[in-house]
Amino acid sequence: MTPALRVTGLRVTYGPVVAVDGIDLEVREGEIYGLLGPNGAGKTSALSAIEGLLRPASGDIVIGEIDARAHPLQAKAQLGIQLQATSFHSSLTLVEIVRLYAGLYGVTLSSSQIRELLGEINLQNEVSKRFRELSGGQQQRFSLLIATVHDPALVLLDEPTAGLDPQGRRQLWDRIERFRNEGRSILLTTHSMEEAQAVCDRVAIMDHGKILTVGTPAALIAAHRDDPKVRQAAHGEVTLEDVFIALTGRELRD
Amino acid sequence: MSLVITFALPLILLVATGLGKSSAALGGPEFRISLALTVGLVSIGTVGYSLAIARDRDTGVFQRLRVTPAPTWTIMVSRWIVQLGAVLVMAIVVLVVAGLFVGVTLPPQDYLFTVLVALLGSAVFLSIGQAIVGLIASADTLNAAGRLLYVPLIGLSVFGNTDRLGTTVELVSRWSPGGCLETLLSAAMGATAWSGQSWGALFASFGYTVVFAVIGIRWFRWVSH
Repeated sequence: MTPALRVTGLRVTYGPVVAVDGIDLEVREGEIYGLLGPNGAGKTSALSAIEGLLRPASGDIVIGEIDARAHPLQAKAQLGIQLQATSFHSSLTLVEIVRLYAGLYGVTLSSSQIRELLGEINLQNEVSKRFRELSGGQQQRFSLLIATVHDPALVLLDEPTAGLDPQGRRQLWDRIERFRNEGRSILLTTHSMEEAQAVCDRVAIMDHGKILTVGTPAALIAAHRDDPKVRQAAHGEVTLEDVFIALTGRELRD
Repeated sequence: MSLVITFALPLILLVATGLGKSSAALGGPEFRISLALTVGLVSIGTVGYSLAIARDRDTGVFQRLRVTPAPTWTIMVSRWIVQLGAVLVMAIVVLVVAGLFVGVTLPPQDYLFTVLVALLGSAVFLSIGQAIVGLIASADTLNAAGRLLYVPLIGLSVFGNTDRLGTTVELVSRWSPGGCLETLLSAAMGATAWSGQSWGALFASFGYTVVFAVIGIRWFRWVSH
Protein backbone atom coordinates (compact mmCIF):
# COMPACT_ATOMS: atom_id res chain seq x y z
CA MET A 1 0.00 0.00 0.00
CA THR A 2 1.35 3.46 -0.94
CA PRO A 3 1.89 5.57 2.19
CA ALA A 4 0.05 8.89 2.38
CA LEU A 5 3.36 10.63 3.02
CA ARG A 6 6.95 9.50 2.73
CA VAL A 7 9.79 11.79 3.80
CA THR A 8 13.37 10.70 3.26
CA GLY A 9 16.54 12.44 4.42
CA LEU A 10 14.78 15.76 4.96
CA ARG A 11 17.20 18.50 5.95
CA VAL A 12 16.16 22.11 6.61
CA THR A 13 18.68 24.82 7.38
CA TYR A 14 18.49 28.53 8.23
CA GLY A 15 21.92 29.77 7.26
CA PRO A 16 24.37 27.87 9.48
CA VAL A 17 21.59 26.58 11.78
CA VAL A 18 20.37 23.04 11.05
CA ALA A 19 16.67 22.90 12.05
CA VAL A 20 15.88 19.48 10.60
CA ASP A 21 18.76 17.06 10.28
CA GLY A 22 18.01 14.36 7.73
CA ILE A 23 14.78 12.88 9.10
CA ASP A 24 12.80 9.98 7.59
CA LEU A 25 9.12 9.50 8.30
CA GLU A 26 6.19 7.69 6.80
CA VAL A 27 2.50 8.32 7.43
CA ARG A 28 0.33 5.34 6.46
CA GLU A 29 -3.14 5.53 4.99
CA GLY A 30 -5.82 6.10 7.62
CA GLU A 31 -3.27 6.81 10.35
CA ILE A 32 -2.94 9.64 12.87
CA TYR A 33 0.78 10.31 13.20
CA GLY A 34 2.02 12.66 15.91
CA LEU A 35 5.27 14.59 15.68
CA LEU A 36 6.33 15.47 19.23
CA GLY A 37 9.19 17.56 20.45
CA PRO A 38 10.13 20.45 22.72
CA ASN A 39 10.27 24.02 21.41
CA GLY A 40 12.89 24.36 18.68
CA ALA A 41 13.05 20.62 18.03
CA GLY A 42 12.35 21.17 14.33
CA LYS A 43 8.71 20.01 14.17
CA THR A 44 7.29 23.13 12.55
CA SER A 45 10.27 23.41 10.18
CA ALA A 46 9.73 19.81 9.05
CA LEU A 47 6.01 20.43 8.63
CA SER A 48 6.66 23.71 6.76
CA ALA A 49 8.93 21.89 4.31
CA ILE A 50 6.23 19.27 3.69
CA GLU A 51 3.65 22.04 3.23
CA GLY A 52 5.89 23.78 0.68
CA LEU A 53 6.34 26.88 2.82
CA LEU A 54 10.10 26.57 2.85
CA ARG A 55 12.63 24.94 0.59
CA PRO A 56 14.54 22.07 2.19
CA ALA A 57 18.30 21.89 1.78
CA SER A 58 17.95 18.24 0.77
CA GLY A 59 15.68 15.22 0.98
CA ASP A 60 12.62 13.80 -0.70
CA ILE A 61 8.95 14.42 0.08
CA VAL A 62 6.40 12.20 -1.64
CA ILE A 63 2.68 12.81 -1.03
CA GLY A 64 0.70 9.80 -2.22
CA GLU A 65 2.55 9.25 -5.47
CA ILE A 66 3.44 12.89 -6.12
CA ASP A 67 6.98 14.18 -5.68
CA ALA A 68 6.26 17.38 -3.74
CA ARG A 69 9.58 19.02 -4.58
CA ALA A 70 9.19 18.46 -8.32
CA HIS A 71 5.43 19.21 -8.47
CA PRO A 72 4.64 21.50 -5.52
CA LEU A 73 1.24 22.74 -6.73
CA GLN A 74 -0.03 19.23 -7.47
CA ALA A 75 1.21 18.12 -4.07
CA LYS A 76 -0.50 21.03 -2.31
CA ALA A 77 -3.78 20.07 -3.96
CA GLN A 78 -3.58 16.73 -2.11
CA LEU A 79 -3.00 18.31 1.29
CA GLY A 80 -5.32 19.81 3.87
CA ILE A 81 -3.33 22.21 6.02
CA GLN A 82 -4.04 23.95 9.29
CA LEU A 83 -1.24 26.30 10.25
CA GLN A 84 -0.24 27.12 13.82
CA ALA A 85 -1.33 30.75 13.45
CA THR A 86 -3.67 31.58 10.66
CA SER A 87 -6.02 34.27 9.50
CA PHE A 88 -8.29 34.97 6.59
CA HIS A 89 -9.21 38.09 4.64
CA SER A 90 -10.64 40.52 7.18
CA SER A 91 -13.33 41.83 4.84
CA LEU A 92 -14.85 38.42 4.00
CA THR A 93 -17.62 36.61 5.87
CA LEU A 94 -17.30 32.93 6.80
CA VAL A 95 -19.48 31.90 3.85
CA GLU A 96 -17.30 33.90 1.46
CA ILE A 97 -14.09 32.46 2.90
CA VAL A 98 -15.36 28.89 2.50
CA ARG A 99 -16.39 29.63 -1.09
CA LEU A 100 -12.99 31.23 -1.84
CA TYR A 101 -10.91 28.38 -0.44
CA ALA A 102 -13.12 25.68 -1.95
CA GLY A 103 -12.67 27.47 -5.28
CA LEU A 104 -8.89 27.48 -4.91
CA TYR A 105 -9.07 23.67 -4.82
CA GLY A 106 -11.52 23.53 -7.73
CA VAL A 107 -14.51 22.65 -5.53
CA THR A 108 -17.77 24.46 -6.22
CA LEU A 109 -20.15 24.72 -3.26
CA SER A 110 -23.63 26.22 -3.21
CA SER A 111 -24.66 28.58 -0.40
CA SER A 112 -26.80 25.86 1.17
CA GLN A 113 -23.89 23.37 1.08
CA ILE A 114 -21.64 25.95 2.76
CA ARG A 115 -24.24 26.60 5.45
CA GLU A 116 -24.52 22.86 5.99
CA LEU A 117 -20.74 22.58 6.44
CA LEU A 118 -20.76 25.47 8.88
CA GLY A 119 -23.64 23.80 10.72
CA GLU A 120 -21.54 20.66 11.17
CA ILE A 121 -19.07 22.68 13.24
CA ASN A 122 -21.78 24.60 15.12
CA LEU A 123 -21.21 27.86 13.28
CA GLN A 124 -24.62 27.97 11.60
CA ASN A 125 -25.46 31.20 13.45
CA GLU A 126 -22.17 32.90 12.56
CA VAL A 127 -22.30 32.66 8.78
CA SER A 128 -22.18 36.39 8.17
CA LYS A 129 -19.49 37.07 10.77
CA ARG A 130 -15.84 37.81 9.99
CA PHE A 131 -13.13 35.37 11.09
CA ARG A 132 -11.71 37.80 13.66
CA GLU A 133 -15.12 38.04 15.33
CA LEU A 134 -15.06 34.34 16.27
CA SER A 135 -13.84 32.95 19.60
CA GLY A 136 -10.59 30.98 19.73
CA GLY A 137 -12.39 27.64 19.64
CA GLN A 138 -14.63 28.73 16.78
CA GLN A 139 -11.59 29.94 14.85
CA GLN A 140 -9.87 26.56 15.28
CA ARG A 141 -12.98 24.69 14.12
CA PHE A 142 -13.36 26.98 11.15
CA SER A 143 -9.67 26.67 10.20
CA LEU A 144 -10.00 22.90 10.27
CA LEU A 145 -13.08 23.11 8.07
CA ILE A 146 -11.12 25.20 5.54
CA ALA A 147 -8.25 22.71 5.70
CA THR A 148 -10.56 19.84 4.75
CA VAL A 149 -13.04 21.60 2.45
CA HIS A 150 -11.60 19.78 -0.58
CA ASP A 151 -11.67 16.35 1.07
CA PRO A 152 -7.87 15.82 1.12
CA ALA A 153 -6.28 12.42 1.64
CA LEU A 154 -3.63 13.82 3.99
CA VAL A 155 -4.27 16.49 6.63
CA LEU A 156 -1.39 18.37 8.29
CA LEU A 157 -2.17 20.02 11.62
CA ASP A 158 0.36 22.22 13.40
CA GLU A 159 -0.52 22.26 17.11
CA PRO A 160 -4.26 22.15 16.40
CA THR A 161 -5.44 22.34 20.00
CA ALA A 162 -3.06 25.04 21.24
CA GLY A 163 -4.99 27.57 23.32
CA LEU A 164 -8.22 25.57 23.44
CA ASP A 165 -10.14 24.79 26.62
CA PRO A 166 -10.72 21.10 27.54
CA GLN A 167 -14.14 21.08 25.84
CA GLY A 168 -12.76 22.56 22.65
CA ARG A 169 -9.84 20.15 22.71
CA ARG A 170 -12.08 17.10 23.12
CA GLN A 171 -14.32 18.29 20.30
CA LEU A 172 -11.33 18.71 18.02
CA TRP A 173 -10.00 15.25 18.91
CA ASP A 174 -13.39 13.83 17.93
CA ARG A 175 -13.18 15.57 14.57
CA ILE A 176 -9.62 14.36 13.98
CA GLU A 177 -10.65 10.80 14.80
CA ARG A 178 -13.63 11.15 12.47
CA PHE A 179 -11.23 12.15 9.66
CA ARG A 180 -9.26 8.98 10.28
CA ASN A 181 -12.42 6.88 10.30
CA GLU A 182 -13.26 8.38 6.91
CA GLY A 183 -9.95 7.02 5.61
CA ARG A 184 -7.83 10.17 5.76
CA SER A 185 -4.30 10.28 7.12
CA ILE A 186 -3.31 12.93 9.63
CA LEU A 187 0.11 14.27 10.55
CA LEU A 188 -0.01 16.56 13.57
CA THR A 189 2.50 18.30 15.77
CA THR A 190 1.74 18.81 19.41
CA HIS A 191 3.26 19.66 22.77
CA SER A 192 0.52 17.77 24.54
CA MET A 193 1.47 14.21 25.49
CA GLU A 194 -2.12 13.71 26.62
CA GLU A 195 -3.25 14.56 23.10
CA ALA A 196 -0.66 12.32 21.50
CA GLN A 197 -1.62 9.41 23.73
CA ALA A 198 -5.34 10.00 23.20
CA VAL A 199 -5.52 10.35 19.42
CA CYS A 200 -2.28 9.26 17.71
CA ASP A 201 -1.81 5.79 16.29
CA ARG A 202 1.95 6.35 16.12
CA VAL A 203 4.19 9.11 17.39
CA ALA A 204 7.71 10.25 16.60
CA ILE A 205 9.69 12.09 19.27
CA MET A 206 11.97 14.67 17.76
CA ASP A 207 14.74 16.82 19.21
CA HIS A 208 17.60 18.89 17.80
CA GLY A 209 16.33 18.24 14.28
CA LYS A 210 16.44 14.45 14.55
CA ILE A 211 13.80 11.80 15.18
CA LEU A 212 14.78 9.97 18.36
CA THR A 213 12.16 7.24 18.34
CA VAL A 214 8.96 6.16 16.54
CA GLY A 215 6.16 3.84 17.59
CA THR A 216 2.69 3.56 19.03
CA PRO A 217 2.33 5.39 22.36
CA ALA A 218 1.88 2.04 24.14
CA ALA A 219 4.92 0.52 22.42
CA LEU A 220 7.12 3.50 23.31
CA ILE A 221 6.06 3.31 26.94
CA ALA A 222 6.70 -0.43 27.01
CA ALA A 223 10.09 -0.09 25.31
CA HIS A 224 11.35 2.61 27.69
CA ARG A 225 9.57 1.55 30.90
CA ASP A 226 12.73 0.18 32.50
CA ASP A 227 15.02 3.01 31.41
CA PRO A 228 16.41 4.59 34.62
CA LYS A 229 15.80 8.10 33.22
CA VAL A 230 12.16 7.22 32.58
CA ARG A 231 11.78 5.75 36.08
CA GLN A 232 13.27 8.95 37.47
CA ALA A 233 10.86 11.12 35.47
CA ALA A 234 7.79 9.03 36.31
CA HIS A 235 5.37 9.95 39.08
CA GLY A 236 3.71 6.56 39.49
CA GLU A 237 2.51 4.86 36.30
CA VAL A 238 4.90 5.53 33.36
CA THR A 239 3.34 7.79 30.75
CA LEU A 240 4.33 8.99 27.29
CA GLU A 241 5.34 12.28 28.88
CA ASP A 242 7.85 10.46 31.10
CA VAL A 243 9.37 8.83 28.03
CA PHE A 244 9.42 12.21 26.27
CA ILE A 245 11.17 13.93 29.20
CA ALA A 246 13.67 11.10 29.53
CA LEU A 247 14.55 11.31 25.82
CA THR A 248 14.61 15.08 25.39
CA GLY A 249 15.85 16.20 28.81
CA ARG A 250 14.48 18.42 31.54
CA GLU A 251 16.06 21.72 30.58
CA LEU A 252 13.73 24.50 29.45
CA ARG A 253 13.61 25.40 25.76
CA ASP A 254 12.77 28.81 24.30
CA MET B 1 -11.62 54.94 6.30
CA SER B 2 -8.66 54.48 3.94
CA LEU B 3 -11.11 54.19 1.08
CA VAL B 4 -12.63 57.56 2.02
CA ILE B 5 -9.18 59.17 2.15
CA THR B 6 -8.29 57.57 -1.19
CA PHE B 7 -11.31 59.14 -2.83
CA ALA B 8 -11.52 62.34 -0.80
CA LEU B 9 -7.92 63.47 -1.22
CA PRO B 10 -7.94 63.73 -5.05
CA LEU B 11 -11.31 65.47 -4.98
CA ILE B 12 -10.23 67.98 -2.32
CA LEU B 13 -7.09 68.66 -4.34
CA LEU B 14 -9.09 69.05 -7.54
CA VAL B 15 -11.36 71.67 -5.99
CA ALA B 16 -8.74 73.36 -3.77
CA THR B 17 -6.28 73.98 -6.62
CA GLY B 18 -8.99 76.00 -8.36
CA LEU B 19 -9.51 78.33 -5.38
CA GLY B 20 -7.83 81.71 -5.08
CA LYS B 21 -6.73 84.29 -7.61
CA SER B 22 -3.32 82.70 -8.25
CA SER B 23 -4.72 79.25 -8.96
CA ALA B 24 -3.98 79.68 -12.68
CA ALA B 25 -0.26 79.65 -11.85
CA LEU B 26 -0.62 75.99 -10.81
CA GLY B 27 -1.52 75.04 -14.35
CA GLY B 28 -4.58 74.66 -16.54
CA PRO B 29 -7.64 72.63 -15.55
CA GLU B 30 -6.21 69.51 -17.22
CA PHE B 31 -3.11 69.81 -15.05
CA ARG B 32 -5.32 70.04 -11.96
CA ILE B 33 -7.17 66.88 -13.01
CA SER B 34 -3.98 64.97 -13.72
CA LEU B 35 -2.51 66.09 -10.38
CA ALA B 36 -5.65 64.87 -8.58
CA LEU B 37 -5.48 61.55 -10.41
CA THR B 38 -1.76 61.15 -9.67
CA VAL B 39 -2.31 61.79 -5.96
CA GLY B 40 -5.13 59.22 -5.97
CA LEU B 41 -3.01 56.66 -7.80
CA VAL B 42 0.00 57.08 -5.51
CA SER B 43 -2.31 56.87 -2.45
CA ILE B 44 -3.99 53.70 -3.67
CA GLY B 45 -0.98 51.99 -5.20
CA THR B 46 2.20 52.85 -3.40
CA VAL B 47 0.85 53.57 0.09
CA GLY B 48 -2.58 51.94 0.53
CA TYR B 49 -1.79 48.72 -1.34
CA SER B 50 1.57 48.09 0.30
CA LEU B 51 0.14 48.70 3.79
CA ALA B 52 -2.83 46.40 3.12
CA ILE B 53 -0.49 43.65 1.92
CA ALA B 54 1.77 44.14 4.95
CA ARG B 55 -1.21 43.91 7.29
CA ASP B 56 -2.38 40.65 5.69
CA ARG B 57 1.15 39.30 5.80
CA ASP B 58 1.41 40.11 9.52
CA THR B 59 -1.83 38.29 10.33
CA GLY B 60 -0.93 35.19 8.29
CA VAL B 61 -3.41 35.61 5.43
CA PHE B 62 -0.67 35.11 2.84
CA GLN B 63 0.81 32.04 4.53
CA ARG B 64 -2.67 30.50 4.47
CA LEU B 65 -3.05 31.25 0.76
CA ARG B 66 0.45 30.01 0.06
CA VAL B 67 -0.33 26.46 1.19
CA THR B 68 -3.14 26.21 -1.38
CA PRO B 69 -2.42 25.11 -4.96
CA ALA B 70 -2.78 28.72 -6.19
CA PRO B 71 0.42 29.94 -7.91
CA THR B 72 2.12 32.95 -6.31
CA TRP B 73 1.41 35.26 -9.20
CA THR B 74 -2.35 34.58 -9.06
CA ILE B 75 -2.41 35.54 -5.37
CA MET B 76 -0.86 38.90 -6.20
CA VAL B 77 -2.78 39.50 -9.41
CA SER B 78 -6.09 38.93 -7.58
CA ARG B 79 -5.11 41.74 -5.19
CA TRP B 80 -4.15 43.98 -8.11
CA ILE B 81 -7.52 43.45 -9.77
CA VAL B 82 -9.30 44.75 -6.66
CA GLN B 83 -7.04 47.82 -6.61
CA LEU B 84 -7.53 48.45 -10.33
CA GLY B 85 -11.28 48.36 -9.71
CA ALA B 86 -10.87 51.03 -7.02
CA VAL B 87 -8.76 53.13 -9.41
CA LEU B 88 -11.38 52.82 -12.13
CA VAL B 89 -14.05 54.16 -9.78
CA MET B 90 -11.74 56.91 -8.48
CA ALA B 91 -10.82 58.06 -12.01
CA ILE B 92 -14.47 58.18 -13.06
CA VAL B 93 -15.45 60.14 -9.94
CA VAL B 94 -12.60 62.64 -10.50
CA LEU B 95 -13.60 63.13 -14.15
CA VAL B 96 -17.28 63.57 -13.24
CA VAL B 97 -16.45 66.12 -10.53
CA ALA B 98 -14.07 67.86 -12.96
CA GLY B 99 -16.92 68.11 -15.47
CA LEU B 100 -19.40 69.40 -12.91
CA PHE B 101 -17.26 71.75 -10.80
CA VAL B 102 -14.07 72.53 -12.75
CA GLY B 103 -15.77 72.95 -16.10
CA VAL B 104 -13.59 70.47 -17.97
CA THR B 105 -15.46 68.31 -20.41
CA LEU B 106 -13.69 66.03 -22.84
CA PRO B 107 -14.68 64.28 -26.04
CA PRO B 108 -15.92 60.72 -25.27
CA GLN B 109 -12.77 59.05 -26.65
CA ASP B 110 -10.58 61.26 -24.42
CA TYR B 111 -12.53 60.13 -21.34
CA LEU B 112 -11.83 56.54 -22.32
CA PHE B 113 -8.19 57.31 -23.05
CA THR B 114 -7.80 59.11 -19.70
CA VAL B 115 -9.29 56.20 -17.77
CA LEU B 116 -6.99 53.75 -19.59
CA VAL B 117 -3.97 55.91 -18.77
CA ALA B 118 -5.12 56.06 -15.13
CA LEU B 119 -5.23 52.25 -15.08
CA LEU B 120 -1.72 52.08 -16.55
CA GLY B 121 -0.53 54.63 -13.99
CA SER B 122 -2.17 52.53 -11.32
CA ALA B 123 -0.22 49.47 -12.50
CA VAL B 124 3.00 51.51 -12.24
CA PHE B 125 2.33 52.65 -8.67
CA LEU B 126 0.97 49.24 -7.60
CA SER B 127 4.17 47.65 -8.85
CA ILE B 128 6.21 50.17 -6.86
CA GLY B 129 4.06 49.32 -3.82
CA GLN B 130 4.61 45.62 -4.56
CA ALA B 131 8.38 46.11 -4.70
CA ILE B 132 8.38 48.00 -1.38
CA VAL B 133 6.22 45.46 0.46
CA GLY B 134 8.08 42.61 -1.19
CA LEU B 135 11.49 43.75 -0.03
CA ILE B 136 10.65 45.25 3.35
CA ALA B 137 9.36 42.78 5.93
CA SER B 138 8.75 45.13 8.84
CA ALA B 139 5.37 46.89 8.77
CA ASP B 140 6.78 49.93 10.61
CA THR B 141 9.68 50.34 8.17
CA LEU B 142 7.28 49.86 5.30
CA ASN B 143 4.96 52.53 6.65
CA ALA B 144 7.86 54.95 6.92
CA ALA B 145 9.16 54.08 3.44
CA GLY B 146 5.71 54.57 1.91
CA ARG B 147 5.34 57.98 3.51
CA LEU B 148 8.87 58.99 2.48
CA LEU B 149 8.21 58.02 -1.13
CA TYR B 150 4.77 59.63 -1.26
CA VAL B 151 5.91 63.25 -1.54
CA PRO B 152 8.75 62.73 -4.07
CA LEU B 153 6.59 60.57 -6.30
CA ILE B 154 3.95 63.29 -6.48
CA GLY B 155 6.48 66.13 -6.50
CA LEU B 156 8.38 64.65 -9.44
CA SER B 157 5.18 64.43 -11.42
CA VAL B 158 4.64 68.18 -10.91
CA PHE B 159 8.12 69.39 -11.89
CA GLY B 160 8.20 67.53 -15.18
CA ASN B 161 6.23 70.42 -16.66
CA THR B 162 8.58 73.18 -15.56
CA ASP B 163 12.31 73.97 -15.57
CA ARG B 164 12.02 76.31 -12.55
CA LEU B 165 14.28 73.94 -10.56
CA GLY B 166 16.71 73.48 -13.43
CA THR B 167 16.85 71.29 -16.48
CA THR B 168 18.30 68.27 -14.62
CA VAL B 169 15.35 68.17 -12.20
CA GLU B 170 13.00 68.66 -15.15
CA LEU B 171 14.59 65.73 -17.01
CA VAL B 172 14.53 63.41 -13.99
CA SER B 173 11.01 64.52 -13.19
CA ARG B 174 9.74 64.00 -16.73
CA TRP B 175 10.99 60.40 -16.84
CA SER B 176 10.00 59.53 -13.28
CA PRO B 177 6.92 57.28 -12.87
CA GLY B 178 4.79 60.30 -11.96
CA GLY B 179 6.27 62.43 -14.76
CA CYS B 180 5.50 59.77 -17.37
CA LEU B 181 1.96 59.58 -16.03
CA GLU B 182 1.60 63.36 -16.28
CA THR B 183 2.81 63.27 -19.88
CA LEU B 184 0.32 60.54 -20.77
CA LEU B 185 -2.60 62.15 -18.95
CA SER B 186 -1.88 65.47 -20.60
CA ALA B 187 -1.97 63.80 -24.03
CA ALA B 188 -5.03 61.73 -23.12
CA MET B 189 -7.01 64.83 -22.15
CA GLY B 190 -5.96 66.65 -25.31
CA ALA B 191 -3.94 69.34 -23.48
CA THR B 192 -0.88 68.37 -25.52
CA ALA B 193 -0.54 66.51 -28.78
CA TRP B 194 0.50 62.84 -28.79
CA SER B 195 4.21 62.93 -29.57
CA GLY B 196 7.41 60.96 -29.43
CA GLN B 197 7.68 61.86 -25.76
CA SER B 198 4.23 60.37 -25.18
CA TRP B 199 5.38 57.11 -26.75
CA GLY B 200 8.50 57.23 -24.58
CA ALA B 201 6.37 57.79 -21.46
CA LEU B 202 4.12 54.88 -22.47
CA PHE B 203 7.04 52.47 -22.91
CA ALA B 204 8.73 53.73 -19.74
CA SER B 205 5.49 53.13 -17.77
CA PHE B 206 5.27 49.55 -19.04
CA GLY B 207 8.94 49.12 -18.18
CA TYR B 208 8.52 50.47 -14.64
CA THR B 209 5.52 48.14 -14.12
CA VAL B 210 7.33 45.02 -15.28
CA VAL B 211 10.59 45.72 -13.41
CA PHE B 212 9.02 46.66 -10.06
CA ALA B 213 6.38 43.90 -10.26
CA VAL B 214 9.00 41.24 -10.97
CA ILE B 215 11.13 42.49 -8.07
CA GLY B 216 8.13 42.66 -5.72
CA ILE B 217 6.74 39.24 -6.58
CA ARG B 218 9.96 37.30 -7.14
CA TRP B 219 11.52 38.41 -3.86
CA PHE B 220 8.29 38.80 -1.88
CA ARG B 221 8.80 38.11 1.83
CA TRP B 222 5.89 35.93 2.86
CA VAL B 223 6.39 36.38 6.57
CA SER B 224 7.22 39.51 8.52
CA HIS B 225 9.62 37.79 10.94
